[in-house]
Formats: sequence, C-alpha cells, structure tokens
Amino acid sequence: MIVRNSLQDADLPQDDPRVKQLNVKMKKEGYKPDALIEILHNAQNSYGYLPINVLRYIAKVLRLPPSRVFGTVSFYHFFSMKSKGEHTCLVCTGTACYVKGAQKLLDKVEEKFGLKQGQVTQDGKIGLQAARCIGACGLAPAVILDDEVQAKVSPEDLISKLTSKLETHEQG
Amino acid sequence: MMALVTIYIDGKKIIAGSEKTILEVARENNIEILTMCHLKGLTDVGACRLCMVELEGSPKLFSACTTKVADNMIVTTNSERIRRYQRITTELFFAERNHICAVCVSNGACELQDLGYKVGLDAIRYPHLFPQCEVDTSHPLYVMDQNRCISCSRCIRACAEVEGAYNWDMMNRGYQIRVISDFNTLWGESTTCTSCGKCVQACPTGALWAKSIVQGQQDKHPEFITDLMERRKMNL
Amino acid sequence: MNRVDFKNIIHAEELKAKNAPTKHKIFVCCGAGCISSGADNVMKKLQEEIKNRGLEDIEVVPTGCMGPCNQGPLVKFKPGNTVYQKIDCVNIGEVVKSQIVDKKPLEDLLLFSEHREKPFVNAEEDPYFKKQLKIALKDCGDVHPEKIEDYLLHDGYKALDKALFEMSPEDVISEIKQSRLRGRGGAGYPTGLKWETVYRHVNDQKYIICNGDEGDPGAFMDRSVLEGNPHRILEGMTIAGYAVGANKGYAYIRGEYPLAIKRFEAAIKAAKKLGVLGKNILGTNFSFDVEVRIGAGAFVCGEETALIASIEGRRGTPSPRPPYPAESGLWGKPTLINNVETMASIAPIILKGGEWYSEIGTAKSAGTKVFALAGKINYAGLIEVPMGTTLREIVFDIGGGIQGDGQFKAAQTGGPSGGCIPAEHLDVKMDYEELMKLGSIMGSGGLIVMDENSDMVDVARFFMEFCVDESCGKCVPCRVGTKMMHDLLQKVCENKATQLDIERLEELAVYVKECSLCGLGGSAPNPLLSTLRHFRHEYDTRVQPVRKSENLVHQ
Repeated sequence: MIVRNSLQDADLPQDDPRVKQLNVKMKKEGYKPDALIEILHNAQNSYGYLPINVLRYIAKVLRLPPSRVFGTVSFYHFFSMKSKGEHTCLVCTGTACYVKGAQKLLDKVEEKFGLKQGQVTQDGKIGLQAARCIGACGLAPAVILDDEVQAKVSPEDLISKLTSKLETHEQG
Repeated sequence: MMALVTIYIDGKKIIAGSEKTILEVARENNIEILTMCHLKGLTDVGACRLCMVELEGSPKLFSACTTKVADNMIVTTNSERIRRYQRITTELFFAERNHICAVCVSNGACELQDLGYKVGLDAIRYPHLFPQCEVDTSHPLYVMDQNRCISCSRCIRACAEVEGAYNWDMMNRGYQIRVISDFNTLWGESTTCTSCGKCVQACPTGALWAKSIVQGQQDKHPEFITDLMERRKMNL
Repeated sequence: MNRVDFKNIIHAEELKAKNAPTKHKIFVCCGAGCISSGADNVMKKLQEEIKNRGLEDIEVVPTGCMGPCNQGPLVKFKPGNTVYQKIDCVNIGEVVKSQIVDKKPLEDLLLFSEHREKPFVNAEEDPYFKKQLKIALKDCGDVHPEKIEDYLLHDGYKALDKALFEMSPEDVISEIKQSRLRGRGGAGYPTGLKWETVYRHVNDQKYIICNGDEGDPGAFMDRSVLEGNPHRILEGMTIAGYAVGANKGYAYIRGEYPLAIKRFEAAIKAAKKLGVLGKNILGTNFSFDVEVRIGAGAFVCGEETALIASIEGRRGTPSPRPPYPAESGLWGKPTLINNVETMASIAPIILKGGEWYSEIGTAKSAGTKVFALAGKINYAGLIEVPMGTTLREIVFDIGGGIQGDGQFKAAQTGGPSGGCIPAEHLDVKMDYEELMKLGSIMGSGGLIVMDENSDMVDVARFFMEFCVDESCGKCVPCRVGTKMMHDLLQKVCENKATQLDIERLEELAVYVKECSLCGLGGSAPNPLLSTLRHFRHEYDTRVQPVRKSENLVHQ
C-alpha cells in the first residue's frame, strides 16, 4: 500500500528521551551518512521498531534522500517498521531447528492464536516472528521469548509459555 | 594516452582502448550484445545479466557491460549457451510481473517487447508470478506502473546521477523489490522529485510514462540521457 | 606502553598465576548454547556454593563455548580437566561436594556418561576431544572472554609482539603464505595471496574487515569465537593491519549476536587500555583502530562487495567484480576482508610458524576446520578437526552417531550454498577439493546430519526458500530464477510436478548458477543440484505423468 507522504515538518519532540538518545548517537557518528545503519539500530533499540516519523527525522538530520533511508530499512530483516507486539515470540527456522520441527511450532501458534509469522495479535499483545538461525543449533528447536532463549521447545511448551505470558500480563 | 589492446569478438579482430568495456567495444564495431539495465551515461550495475559473454580460457560467463577488455581477449557473444540463457532471462522478465502488451502505453516502442522478438520468444515456459502491483497516478505529469517494471534501476540512476534529485530507490529485496518514491509514498507528494522526466525517458518499458502522450505514441528517447552526459563531459 | 612494559606485564601476570594460592579453577561454559540452557543461574549458584563451603581459594571462570552444546550447561574442573554435563542449580552442589571435598568424581554426571561404558574423568581422553585438534577454538573454553589478563596468560598478543618487532610486513605475509591457510568463510581463497594483493596496492588509506556476518543457518563458529575469545580476533586483525599497511579495521558482527557485540566492544576497550590497539601500538609507529559494525539481518552481506555496501550504510547489494575489494573496496580504498575463523588462525600461525600449520591437514587444504554439528546427531555442537578427517569420523567418532536408532542418510555441508553427502560417501576426506567433487562445498562449516526420515526434496526446497528470502533482488537470475525454482520444488513436494518440471528445474539451476551476479545466486542451486545427483529417485517417484495440454504449451 502506498501511503500519503506527510509534508509536515519532520521534527520530533526534543524533550523525548528517545529523541535525545538518537541525537547523541547521530552527533557521535559525526552525522555521517555511512553511519545510517548504526543509527537505525540505535533508534530501533529505544523505540522497539522504526516508526515512519523517526525515519523522516533521521533522513532530515543526516540530509539523506528519503528513498535511500526507506530502501535501506526495508532491505534488512532486522529492522521493523511495525510494532512487534508487547511480547515477542521469535521462532528459529534455521536448518537445525527446521529438521527438529520448527514448522510445528509455527503451526501450533497459528492454530492457537491465529498468528502467522510477522503478525501481531489484534490486541497487540503477542507478535510472532521467524528468524533464520539464531546460532543456537545445539538446542534445536529454539525459540526466543521476550529476549530469553528457550531450548528444545515442544509445541505444547510454547503454547503454555505464551499463555502464561498473557496471564501475568493481565494480572500486572 | 590510453593503452591499446587487441581483442577478438566472435572471430573479428579489433583494436580498442584498454579502459573500455567489452560492451562498448562491441557496439562501436556493430556487434550486437543484448542489454536491458545498461544505458550509456549511467553507471553500469551488471544487473540484468543479458549481456553475458564467454571468454576463452574461463568456464565462467562475464557481463560485457562491466568487464574491461584486455589484450588478446577472445570473446564469444553468440554461442548456443548464451542464446539459451538470453531466452531464459527474457522469459523470467515476462513471468515476473504483469506484462500485457496490448494494453500498454509503450506497445510498439518497448525495449522489453523488442527483446522478446530478438530472442524469438513464442511462449513462457515458467509459471507467471502475477504479483499484486500498485499503479501510482498521483504525479501531475507522469505515471508509475509497477506491473510493467523490470527492476533495471535505470530510473533510479538517471534521477540520482543525472538529475541529482534522488527521488527513487529500491525497497525490500528478492522478487519483492519495488521502485519507490521517497518513503514509499505517492510520487505526486514527493519532496525530492523535480518533475524533470529523465526517469521516464530512461525507463525501457511502460512502467514510467507521460500522461500527456496518448496510448501507443509513448516513444521514449533514452539516448537523450546519453547525449546529456556526453555534453556535460565536454564542458560546453 | 612500549615493548619492555608489555613484557613486564606478561611476566607479572605469569608470576601471579604461578604463585596464586588457587588450587582449583572451575570453568563454567557461557557459550550461547549453555547460557540458553541456564548457565547463568548455575554460575550464581556455584559461587554461593563455594562461599557456603568456605572454599574461597577456588576461582570460578565463565568461558566461551566448550563444544558439545546439547550436553550443556557444562562445567569443567581444573586441574584434571573433569567435565560435568547437564548441570543445574540442584546438582551443582553435589558436584562440588564430590569433586572438591570428597575428591571423587561424580560418575553419573560426567560428560557423555549416558553413552560411555566408563566415562572419562579427564575429558581430554574422551574420543570426542581426542580426535579433535583445536587451533582457532583453542582457548575458547579456558579463558575469561572479558579479561585481557587471562588472554595474555594464553600467549595472548605474543604473536603481535613478534610480528611488530621481529618481522617486516613482507615476512608476515610470507609466513601466512607458507602456512597455506585458506579463507574459512567458504570459498577457500588462499589468505596469504589476498594479503599480498592488498599490500601491493599502494594507498595512504587501507582497511581491514573481519567478516562476522555468519548467516548460514546451522553455523555458529564465528559466534563462539567472538563470544569466547574476542582478543584472538582483535590480534589477528591488528597483525593483518600491520602486514598490509592498514590502520583501520571494522568487525562486522550479526545483530542477532548481542553478546558477541558486547564482548568484542569490551575487548577493544581493554586492548586499547593495555596499548596493544590504538595509537603507537607497543611504542612503535604502527597505529591500528577497530570499530564494530552491527549487521542487520541479510545473508547476502556475507558477500564481500555487499558487506562493503552495508558498512557504508547502504542496501547490502553486491557489485560486479572486478574491481576486487583488494584494489577498490570500502570507500574505494584497498580493503582486506577475512572471515572470523580465518582471523582466529592468524596469531597461532605467526607464533608457531607457517610450516607448522601447513603440515596439518591435506595436500591442498592445510590446517584445521571448525564444524558446527547439528541435526539428528547425538553430540550437536562445535568441533575443530584437521582437514582431511573423514565424515565418518566426524559423525560417528566425534558426534556420537545418529540420535535414537536412526540410520545416517546424508550430511548437508555449506548450508544454502552447499550440498549433501550421501551415506556411500561417508569416507570422504573433508577438505575443499573433495567436497567440491561431490557437488558440495566446505562453506563456513555448518554440518547438518539427516536420518532416514529426512525428505531430501524438502531439504532442497527449504534451502531454496532461504535463498529466495535472502536474494537481494539486483540480478534477474537470482531474483526471479530462485523464486521459480522454489515454486517448482514446492510442486514436486506436493506431488504435482511432471517430468517437464524436473527438466525445467535442471535447466534453471544451471542458468542461475552461471549467470548470477554474486556468490549467493551462483551457489543457490547447489542443494537442488546435489539432491538431484544423489537422491534422484526421490524426485522421480513423485513425478506425475505429463498431461497432453501441458505438452502443447511447454514444448
């Protein structure tokens, strides 16, 4: 879908701590265009993803063509322009995990939560992603649940862990 | 002073400057090598792989547009293997997006269509991908139709290298790449486009076209980019 | 700091180690595998345990990967090299009690106890380790990755010292040439030649890039070295910088490896503080600085020219070579790009000599190679063996054979760029040439073992899907060709393909291999071609008879 290009000023609220951090990073890199990927990493760390207005801001400060910033962000799978959900479930689909049944994990999550990879539940609570090898092949199949690696996961394990994430969420 | 080398293209002995590419030398000597992403005046990227040639002594193929000539190089441009590969590449072009010549503004003046005739295409042996593609008509003068785009990147290079505007770039990767304006936003709302129309002239197909010209009259002049760059070099 | 100061520091550290009251050292494997299995908690519990028992002269050291990842968390006791497996917060107490207090090893928890009649108290006597020869991974399970002093005690930066003071850049290059070391990233280009080419290109500014964009699914050796022994890589890069005349290096590390990034950055800081990195290294005129660049998830960035584009902050699309990076690389300057494992082999070669290294391995492939064992194998993990070790030795003697009662069917090497080796070739000597002859490649060293339940057409489809996803989209053969091959393979998997489809697959495979712009496309058809070669019957049995209508259209 082509979205409308907002002609509003590409400024961000300067008192936002995330913007301050971004400013510090860009200054540290000397506003060099070749530091774009480093700066994007920094922004994604603080925002959780890369909102379009942040990309506008970065393009403006670094004086980079907008299409180049967007083209670069969309090239790398590590970068996301959509919120990944409050809880992220990253299923490794590298060779070792695939051989040991990673597809079954994905199927089970789809069956239970109606999620395909790359999607977030409608309430925004769980996001499902698939990764190409997280380098934990000895522990296949592996899943990263909210930044914590889970080893040798069975489909049932995964569902119960995700359900408990949701429950603690409701209590909290 | 440029060093001179002797090369043989399809058996023809040619003396050429060592800074030139195989493609340049072949064209200067009226030897046809098929190309799509090449447009003289723009940086060569070696992306379409139509200009692959054989060099004696190597089992590999080389893209003529990016390979410089060397002394005693023996080049073959028309072997059975090369012609077979040219046909596959052409078929893949047609199967990738939604190319329907009869309803295309560039029908009769399209480099892709010409290519199809040249390689003698009579059927596409591969399943068409039929992707869902956007048509952006928001620009007052021009239209971008992704259905007809072959991702040669000539528009991107014309905009960045000749006009210096850098409105276009590529997004995503693999078979999902698309040419985008600014933040994948409407062309008509671009903050960088100067509406110069160079991208339209550079485009080999009907992906970029001018609204003012009626169906079937969309005769493009990519050589105008070449001439422009030549004149710049001459410092007029 | 000058050379004398450096020697004094090393000397002082050695003295300290010699005179330390510590009798025992306990090493806790904190490689990625063991951490995911709970090594962090084991570490905490172990420290408590030692405190409670009043054993405070015992030092606990977190280390990099020890190898057999799926037996983790692993804990090693020195002296004696006793390794315990599957340690958790409950059994760690018992282990400490019987190993240290009662001085009697706890047999049930010894490494591989479930598979050995009598497990080895000294793990190094176990065939798992005995068949291996660790050079690149040598200190991974023995040094604290965040303590430069620990690295110094393991001959750390001695090779740099030797190179700077006893060797000219030409000497260093000829030593590397003599070692016959070949690039461990996949292609196997002679490292010494590459160094020499960069050295010969005269330019005020040259760069070193260490390629740690390990994208091959199923390979994690770069990660283990970066996390387990980052100084070894830094030392290798610095020596490379000295040899080719570069004063700036970039370590490109995958964003998926946050721990490796953290440790490598810490290592840079420590090395600068000590004076073995930065301005006027060890008091000489040679300066070298290293920066980390974080990869953002693109397999194609393992390709030299794409890697350069990525470091320059652009889309990671490859460009045609020539010009080669050695001539015109990062920002158009001569650039040396070596893989992590290659860099890890530099310091030992300088220290022990090229001749020593060249005598290991086979006639054409010298030295050792790290393999990441995974799949249906008992001891998944990282191993390092001399080139020329047979596949049988790797799978059965080291890897402990096939899980359960399964039969070995094939081993896939080289990931999405490689191919599979069927059972009849189990005795193949693993080196660059032999693997090539079988239609596979060494690649970065991923080795996935499959049993009789594995569907080889699906394996080919899996790798093709990977290539479709990872293709940058620049050139037509790779962008469209891989997608077409994938769709055709999908058709075979669903038992809908005809003989014509198989023929089309074969034609496309050769076309994509020969016409693609870079190595990703050039090798993408390999898994398909190799399964067609060794497991043709699995394709043929699924083929449907050709319908008349189809015959008409697709002559």
